[in-house]
Order: sequence, then C-alpha cells, then structure tokens
Amino acid sequence: MQNKNNKGWYLLFTAPLFIIFLTVVVIPFVIGIYYSFFKWDGIGANPKVFVGFDNFIKLFGDTRFLESTWKTTLFTILAVISVNIVGLVFALLVTSKLRTSNAARTMVFMPYLIGGLILGYIWQFIFLDVFTLIGEVTGLENVFFNWLIDMDFALYALVFVFTWQMAGYIMIIYIAGIQSIPNDVMEASMIDGASWWQRLKNITFPLLMPAFTISLFLTLSSAFKIYDVNLSLTGGGPANSTEMFAMNIYNEIFGYGNYGYGQAKAIIFFLIVAAITLTQVYITKKREVEL
Amino acid sequence: MKKFYKILKELLLLIAALFFLSPIYIIIVNSFKDRQELYENVLALPKEFSFQYYIEAMEKMNFLNALANSLYITILSVLIIVVLSSMTAWMLARTDNKLSKIIFMIFIATMLIPFQTLMMPLMQFMSTITNTLHIPMINTREGLIFMHIGFSSSISVFLYHGFVKSIPITLEEAATIDGASKFGVFWRIIFPILKPITVTVMILNVINIWNDYLLPSLTLTDKGLRTIPLSTFYFFGEFTIQWNLAMAGLMLTIIPVVIFYVLAQKHIIKGIGEGAVK
Amino acid sequence: MKFQKRTWSSLFIIALLLLLSACSGSDEGSTGKENSGDSDEASTQKITIFQSKVEISDQLEALAKEYTTETGVEVEVWGTTGDDYFEQLQIRLNSDQGPSIFSLQNVTEAEKMKSYVADLSSEAYAKDIAPGMELKVEDKIVGVPYGVEGFGLVYNKDLVKPEDVADYESFVSTLEKLKAEDITGLGLSKEAYFLIGHISNYPFSLQSDHYEFIDKLTSGDVTMAETKEFQEFGKFMEAIKANTPSPLDVTYDKEVGDFAAGKSAMIHQGNWAYGMLADFDVDFEVGMLPFPLNGTDKLAVGVGNNWAVNGKKDEAETKAAKDFLNWMFTSETGHRYIVEEFGFVPALTTIEANDLDPLSQDVLNASNSGQTIPWAQNYYPANIVPNDFAPKAEEFFLSKDMTGEEFIENLDDAWKNAVK
Repeated sequence: MQNKNNKGWYLLFTAPLFIIFLTVVVIPFVIGIYYSFFKWDGIGANPKVFVGFDNFIKLFGDTRFLESTWKTTLFTILAVISVNIVGLVFALLVTSKLRTSNAARTMVFMPYLIGGLILGYIWQFIFLDVFTLIGEVTGLENVFFNWLIDMDFALYALVFVFTWQMAGYIMIIYIAGIQSIPNDVMEASMIDGASWWQRLKNITFPLLMPAFTISLFLTLSSAFKIYDVNLSLTGGGPANSTEMFAMNIYNEIFGYGNYGYGQAKAIIFFLIVAAITLTQVYITKKREVEL
Repeated sequence: MKKFYKILKELLLLIAALFFLSPIYIIIVNSFKDRQELYENVLALPKEFSFQYYIEAMEKMNFLNALANSLYITILSVLIIVVLSSMTAWMLARTDNKLSKIIFMIFIATMLIPFQTLMMPLMQFMSTITNTLHIPMINTREGLIFMHIGFSSSISVFLYHGFVKSIPITLEEAATIDGASKFGVFWRIIFPILKPITVTVMILNVINIWNDYLLPSLTLTDKGLRTIPLSTFYFFGEFTIQWNLAMAGLMLTIIPVVIFYVLAQKHIIKGIGEGAVK
Repeated sequence: MKFQKRTWSSLFIIALLLLLSACSGSDEGSTGKENSGDSDEASTQKITIFQSKVEISDQLEALAKEYTTETGVEVEVWGTTGDDYFEQLQIRLNSDQGPSIFSLQNVTEAEKMKSYVADLSSEAYAKDIAPGMELKVEDKIVGVPYGVEGFGLVYNKDLVKPEDVADYESFVSTLEKLKAEDITGLGLSKEAYFLIGHISNYPFSLQSDHYEFIDKLTSGDVTMAETKEFQEFGKFMEAIKANTPSPLDVTYDKEVGDFAAGKSAMIHQGNWAYGMLADFDVDFEVGMLPFPLNGTDKLAVGVGNNWAVNGKKDEAETKAAKDFLNWMFTSETGHRYIVEEFGFVPALTTIEANDLDPLSQDVLNASNSGQTIPWAQNYYPANIVPNDFAPKAEEFFLSKDMTGEEFIENLDDAWKNAVK
C-alpha cells in the first residue's frame, strides 16, 4: 500500500514537467534524428530520399566540419577555464564582506542581463575602436589591435567576450555555493587559527564541489553550443576560422539547404558533447561531500 | 597593514567591476547619437542628452503592449517552472532508483542540444498538435509559455537537484513520521529551505525568457502578441542597424530585468540567513 | 490523510486543466476577433505578408492599413530581422503556418520554393514588368520585383571624374593617385555581399551568356581561372588590395561614413546606400559609375527582392493575396507607396518615377537607355556568397602575398564546394 502510494506521489511530482519536456524537447529531437537518415533540402514539399547512414559517413570526410570540431574544442577549453576562474574569484571577493561587494556583484552580473545579438555588435566597436586606440596610445600594438580580423586572435576575442558575458552568471552559482557553507564550520576553523589559504583549500573548495559540478557543466555546455555571440561578433570569420559547431550546423541546414546532413552533424555533435560533459558531471559528483 | 589590504581589495574589485560595466557605457551614450555622431566617435559623450530616440523607439515598438506581453509570458512561465521543477528535482533526488537516474540523465543530456537544430521539428510538431488536438500551440502566448517551460526545465531541475542533495534527509524523515504527506513535506519544509536556489533559478529563467528572441520569433506572428525583444526587429535592417533606436530599445528591454535582479538579489542574501537551518 | 492527498492531487489536475483550457480559450478569442468585422464576404478574408526588407516594414504596414480601409480585407504584416528571414519562412511553410505573400530574392530561392509559389503570369500587371526583370520558374512568372536596383562605383564628383575610371589602367592610376593624397580610392566593407558578392558579379555578367557559363562552371567544363574576364577581375582585386586599406576593418556604416566625410573617393555600393548617405551631412555631389572591368560602361542592374504569392493556401486566401498585389501595382495609392514611401526605382513600366535620389536616377537612366549588364549573382548556387565566397575573399585580403590569380583559383574551389 505504502509502495503504491509512493508511486502515485512520484508520478504527481515528476510527470507534469516531464510530459511538457518530452513534448517540447525530446520528441522534436527524435524527429530530428529521423531526418538525419534522409537527403532532404528542408522544404516540406520537396522529396526526401532515404540514404541510411550516408550522412554520417560523409561527416568524417568533411574537413570544414572537422576543423570546426577542433576549433570548438579549443574554444571550449579556454572558455571553461577563464569563465570559471573569473567567476570564482569574483564570488570569493564579493562574499568577503567588502563595502563594494553589492555594487560589484550587480556590475559583474550586468553583461548577462543583456542577452542576444547586440552584445556581439557592441564588442565589434570595442575591438575596432577601443583596442586600436589603446594600441596607439600605449605602443603595445601587437597586443591591442582589432583581434577580429586575425585568424588566431579572433578565437581569443570570442573567449574574451564569452567570459565577459558568462562570468557573472557563474559567479552567482559560486556565491550560492559559498553562502550555503555553514557558518559554524568557518568560524571553528578561524578559531583554530587556519590561514586564509588553508581555509580555502581545506574547507571552501571541498564544500564547493556541488557548485563546481554545476558551473563546469553549465560553462561546458554553453561554450559548446555557442551561437549568438559567434554570429554577431565574428560571423564565423575571418575565413571560417571561428566557425563553431552550432554555426556550422546552422549553415549546413539553412545556408546550404542540406537538412538531413545538418541533422546528422547535430546528432554526432550531441553524442560527443554528451559523452564529455556527462563524464565531467560523473567525476565531479563523485568528489562532492554529502552533508 | 590589514586595513591597507582591505582598501586595496575594495579598489581592485571596483575597478574590475567597472571594466565589466564599460561596454554598457557604449550602449548608453550611443542611444543618444545620430548616425553622423556615432560615426565620428563611438566613445565620446553625446552632444545632447535628448530622449527623442527613446520616445521614437517606444512608439515603433508599441512598447506598453510589448511590455504587457513580456511580463505575462515571463511571470507565468517562471512561476510554473519553479513549482514544477523543484517538485520534480526533489522527487528525483530523493527516490534513488534506476528510473530517477534515467529521467535525470535525459533532463541534463538535452541541455546539450543546440536550439538551432530543434527549431524546425519543434515547429512541425507544435503545428501537428495544433491541427490534430486543437490545442493552439502556435501564435498564442500560452503556447509559448508551454515551450518556455519545456526548454527551461533541464537547467532548473539540474540546479534544484544539486541543492536538494545538500539538504539533510533527516528533516523530512522527521516530518514523515509526524504523518505529513509528501506534498506537505515538500511545500512546508523543503521548499522554504530551497529559497536561495529558487531565487537563483528565477533570476536565470527570467533573464533567459525575457531576452529570448528566437523562440518567440518562430511562434508569435500576431502583431499584438509581440514581446519586447521581438518588437526591436524594426531597427535591424538588411545590412545596417539603426544604432540609436536599437540601443535605446535595448536599454528599454533591460531596465525591467535590472530592477528585478536588484530586488531579487536582496532575497538571496536574506535567504542565506534563513537557510542556516542546517 | 487519504482524503487530503486526494484533494491535493485533484487540485493539481484541475490546475493543469485550467492551464490547457486557458490555451484553447485564447484561440477562440482570436478567431472571434477576425470574424467580428463587416458581414460581407470579402471582409472575413485575412492575408498575411512576410518579407525580408525591414527598411520598408513601417511603410508596408501603412499601405496595408490603407488597403483595409478601402476593401475591408485585413492585412497583417509579420516582422523579422533582415538576416533570419529565409530560415523563418522555410520553418513556417514547413509547419503549415506560412504567410499568404512572401518575398524571394532570386531564382535560386524561387526554385527551392517551387511547390509553394503561385503562378502570376495571368495577372493584369504581369505584362508591364520591365523586360527580363520578372522572376520566372519553368516559364511561369512567380515573382514581381520590388523595384530595380543597381550597383557600381558610387563616387564623389569633387574627387573623381568618369574618365578617371574608364578602364583598368585609369582605374589603377586613380587609386594610386588618391592613395598618395591619403584618400581611400575605393571602399569596400566586410559584409559578405559588399566584400565580394556584388563585385564578383562583373566577370559573370560580361559573359556572352551567363546562364550557360554558370551551368558549365557547375559541370566543370570551364573554370574561372582560364576565363579572360576572371583573370582581369583578379588583377582589379589585386589593385584594390594594394592601394586601399583592408575592408575587413570596415563595416557598411563606416564605409558610407568615410565616403560622406570625404575620406574615400569611391565606394562599391548600390542605390540603396543613398538612404544611409542621407543620414550624413554630405556637401558634394554623388553619382554612380560602372565598374570598368574589360572597360565596360554599363551598370549592373537587377532585382534584389520579389513579391510571391503562396499557392498552397486555400483558394480564397490565394486569391485575396493576388488581389492585394494587383491593387498595389495598379492603384494610384500603390504606385505612390512604391516610389515615394518605399523609395524604389519602379520595375513596372506603368509606374512613373519622379524626384528620385541621384543614385537611383543614375540607375534609372542606365536602365532606360539599356546601358546595363545583368545581375548574374541571382543565378549563383544558394548562399554561395556568405558561405563560400566571403571566406575566400577574407583570406585574400588578410594575406599580403596572395595574388589575384590565386584568388580566382580559390573562387573556383569555392564554387565546387557550393555545388557538390
């Protein structure tokens, strides 16, 4: 009886959201998988030809896609590191009872409040006008120039802007994590005379593990999926050197009109990212300290 | 010496924060310039602070109507998301079996799908629902809310799940022994403890939903239903942007979220005091 | 206890039902609104327009309003930004949510949408479309031009004389001379169409039969590298790279701003740029000259956007859509909007154009006197310009030592990639 009741509760708590979620996300995704076995230009009335696994096989000879895979990986690694360091440092600073904490917290979070494409356009101004100006004034012209037209630096520009946008968001998660560390633990360690670094290493970091898990996963997945900033900041250029995964897929589907092939790319992309991020979640979850 | 370090830290923090804020300066000053002035210098202060572009942007966007739509869609979506995802996350975290693990995995795995690859099948499926079940999913605010809930559920469940794990299970066990139903336990004991993360979930979802352009642009066609970001399309031409109007429109878009954020932030800090139940 | 649980669950189910009924309720509300007009037959019809030229959205809405007052037919104009229009159109058509009237840029898009576009050949205004400007698929007219547009060298009459840019030699020496005076000879900008799309048009247009040439290029029977016009085009591009600052640093806004400020003597643009130029204080006269590839003295004139009718809608809606276009192209109000409000150079011989801006006037003059070459770019493979040509052009402008010849070879590769 108890068991049956529990099942009812389980259903009542999880089913409503899960059903909505299935309708909106999972079923369309499955439809997408279905299309990946067809050669189709994405126009409803035009013929769909079943090609089996051809689209998937074709992928491995597609140098532009492979290049974009490599670029996305590189971007993700750099972005995850820089977003998390900046976010964590700010979180530690603003929770350490400084007078400027509140103001700083809002300011750092501001970029995330401005979503969408216009961010990229504004940064175009900054790279073009401000960076070149700083270069002229300081004489450091090989560091401060328009990064966006350099095949290597354009990627760093993307990391830079992505960090600027995401750091505040990640900071919020770390703040929540830091603040959920019980005060008595901290106080006890202070009385014991632990130094700032010892407290950080032995108490804060281990207890922050859940926040690490979340933050790493969030940055990892949004860096892999980056599209808006990519489109508005570099548009994939110069010469395709910053064409990330999502943009490559989008161009395949809507630019070249290869709907089925684009979907095949999306699925491979999904499998790769899922494998990486789920491994990450698994590893960090293992290290979490349960209270 | 210690005081000196503190002041240094304060200063450093302020400078770094100002650096974060600086691009926003560009948005603000250029919302007062015409094309000629913008061309001459992007960084300079405008010659005059007249709000003409704000007024023009508001008129073109049909601002009040768009504001009402955005508020309705955002508030309703976020409230439902908070209720449903906290319940789901708690149940999944507390029922330790295979099914829970699989459901949770599906939730987080789908966070990795870029929206761009879902949009076509999503719209096809929604149109099928509209046509066969006669539930109008497309071109209604409620349909959009439904989709927003679906897309936000992963991250919300994920965030809640992580924090439920850090609540000692003994609390709810005590309540269950006292004879409270699961529903009662959740709403009376767990949900209040979850307040800090609830505020976080709300902030993130409010921002995402408020600023979203792509999903509403696909589902809402009726002029009267447009949200604020949708109404700014007028300023984005084929090859050029009407900068002053676009920046003014952007400021109008973010002011409500900034207000919300500042208000909500206070609750996070307050919430921590209350969360000290542990 | 039991009772309590049941109440909670039923409450919950009621809440969900309420939510769902709220959804369906609002639908009834909106259909109710549609039918609440006059009772005569025409007024219950509603048409929707979806189009990519954001610049005319306001004016189009005003036109729609006038039409509704005159005929009672409701016209709704949907909005989108310039860059995601075609994707949105595709998604909407696929999910049976398509508009009644939409815009198409060229034959390639029309071919793709073949099964959706209605035949407009028998419409009254069809015979008035300027020769060669209609959008045709399988010999049926499926699109009516918004207007004709032309591009070439938009020049500052104080700095450049027509004879300065009459052929390759004079073009290069003019660029060199201006460079010595610290003036940009010819400005391009980084947007795909302004960087390479439009300018790449010339060697194609100068072929005796550009349709045939494009077919041969696709089948691999010819290459650009072995074709004379392209070799010359490579030389032109090399001269531009050598004598002007990199266009990759320049946005369309800056390109036009520099020109208005007298910092550049010419820009490669079309008559549409006048709309932006008017936002600046310009104290000199402007005009448009042909790009002198092979010494040609003709402007590239073509159609950038066409109106098309969705033939997959029910008969009444398709007819209402055709009626709207017919009204726009035959009524006085429609004509006034096309010329004065939209600011187009009309593509219908029955529409008179007065008081055009100087660039549009140059385009109209060229078009009237037949001094034009076609827009071969309308027959390029879909999206080749942003997807394949632009990256190659960026590479060309980035690498100091890539020659024009190598650039043309790269364009050959780009073409192969686009048609594979």
